[in-house]
Amino acid sequence: MSPAPLHNFAGRSALVLHRSDGPGRNIVARCDRLAIRARMLRGDVSPEDMAGIDMVILDIDTGDDGQLPWGAGQAPVPLIGLVGSESPGRLAWALAQEVDAYLPLSALGNLFSALVIAHETFARKAERRRREARAAGRAAGQLDVIRAVMALAATGGDEAVALKQLRAMAMVERISLENAARRILSGGRDARAGGR
Amino acid sequence: MTLRLGLIFSTTGPYAALGQSALAGALGAVATLRAQGVGIEPVIRDPGGDAARYEAETAALLEDGVQHILGAITSWSRKEMIPALERGGGLLWYPCPYEGFESNDHVVYLGAAPNHHVLPATDWIARQGMRRVYLVGSNYVWGWETLRLARERLEALGVGIVGERFVPLGSDRHDHVLDEICAQGADCVIDSLIGPPNASFLRGLAARDPGRVGRAGHVVSFNQTEADIDALGPAADGLLSAGSLFEGDAGAALKGAARRFAPNGRVSAFLASAYAAVEILVEGCRRAGTDAPRAVFRAATERSVATAMGEVRIDPVLRHAAIAPRLALAEGGRFHVIERAATPLPADPYLTAQRARVPPRPDLRIVR
Repeated sequence: MSPAPLHNFAGRSALVLHRSDGPGRNIVARCDRLAIRARMLRGDVSPEDMAGIDMVILDIDTGDDGQLPWGAGQAPVPLIGLVGSESPGRLAWALAQEVDAYLPLSALGNLFSALVIAHETFARKAERRRREARAAGRAAGQLDVIRAVMALAATGGDEAVALKQLRAMAMVERISLENAARRILSGGRDARAGGR
Repeated sequence: MTLRLGLIFSTTGPYAALGQSALAGALGAVATLRAQGVGIEPVIRDPGGDAARYEAETAALLEDGVQHILGAITSWSRKEMIPALERGGGLLWYPCPYEGFESNDHVVYLGAAPNHHVLPATDWIARQGMRRVYLVGSNYVWGWETLRLARERLEALGVGIVGERFVPLGSDRHDHVLDEICAQGADCVIDSLIGPPNASFLRGLAARDPGRVGRAGHVVSFNQTEADIDALGPAADGLLSAGSLFEGDAGAALKGAARRFAPNGRVSAFLASAYAAVEILVEGCRRAGTDAPRAVFRAATERSVATAMGEVRIDPVLRHAAIAPRLALAEGGRFHVIERAATPLPADPYLTAQRARVPPRPDLRIVR
């Protein structure tokens, strides 16, 4: 069997965003039993409110972008969305916020599942973003590689020799080909001298 | 006012012995309470060990006006009942040990949770200095979760796992498992098999490796009770089990229920928890002045209830009973308690309080 996902949240902190007392208190009580320190908040969330917070549990029915100190889809911690009315507009808002797991208000007994799923989804999302950033960096660097090869070839030799030189430099410096090209373009030929 | 109490236990089928034991406990409590003037009408259903029938039986009882059901042995059957309970607003009083990771708003959990069975038993294994443990379980959620947790716990304590096998539910083809256990020289087998295959497995193990029989803890179970230990014969000698109550600790009320209603005449944790469940339900109704499930639950959990198992306190948020776990060794078809917690331990179904650590026997003391 595959290894179990993160399933012990003891000692973590949660912010519970709900405008009515009942459900908010229920969630805080459940968090307490899972050894999660939960704090309920009715109004807007300030960046200070987020200090030390590991997850946010929010009411989809009453949520709005202005309430949160980050742009849509940019939450710094896993988001667990509480589903109440199921109106398409509200769900659209939650989807735009990229809520990581959904929990119907009628099923608060399943909070644990929602926490496990939210943390796993958040971790996978972060990993995907890192991969995409790396790929984008590589794609953007292709033009730099061509320019660097042309610059090296212009000082003598042909493009094949220039590419070989660039590769050797990247290997010695233990940097990517794209970064080696950028160094050459920014710092001239002897990039090593200005390297470290 | 007469309280109608649904009793859904499989008293026929593959795990009939467990259902019969639990039903006996419920009927014993009903008889005792009736003698005290409490009106209870049991409505008994037997799904015959067929998981698919639990949902329909539950829905039919709720439609018929029954609001409280005591029943289910396996997690599979409990999970089948939950959607019907949610639709019909009923409350299930579940009397069995289970693997944890559940806390449904329509269930009260009265049996042992993993911090009452897996943790004390695996800690005991580590303390005995056993170093080669083999895991075998039925291929469903009880086997998967108890063995996953046992592996995690034992590895953290530095105990090696030499093999792990899951056997299809109901299958008694386990020669390959016995081969592996003998080939690996496992000094302890953790056994999460259920039903008749468990008996044939343990008898097969005893026949294959007679030298191990009788050695304390050569087999460890998280749910073996007196309900079906007779089926194991001498193969059970030396088996260590963890549970909320063993026969030797039973008082007159539980013994009376067993004599009167249990086909094998014996007290088990199933019988005791079912007996206590009826007492807690009735006390909840008395405190609340109604049998409406939400009000009864609130009233039953606001403070502890005196039962035939002792004072039982139920956590109003996680909905589980606090239990004083015991470890017991089997010999000659009887369990002898070797350790028991001094006070009831709140259930920790999500194991949030647990960190890998070498346990200096925190809550258990030796009894001789």
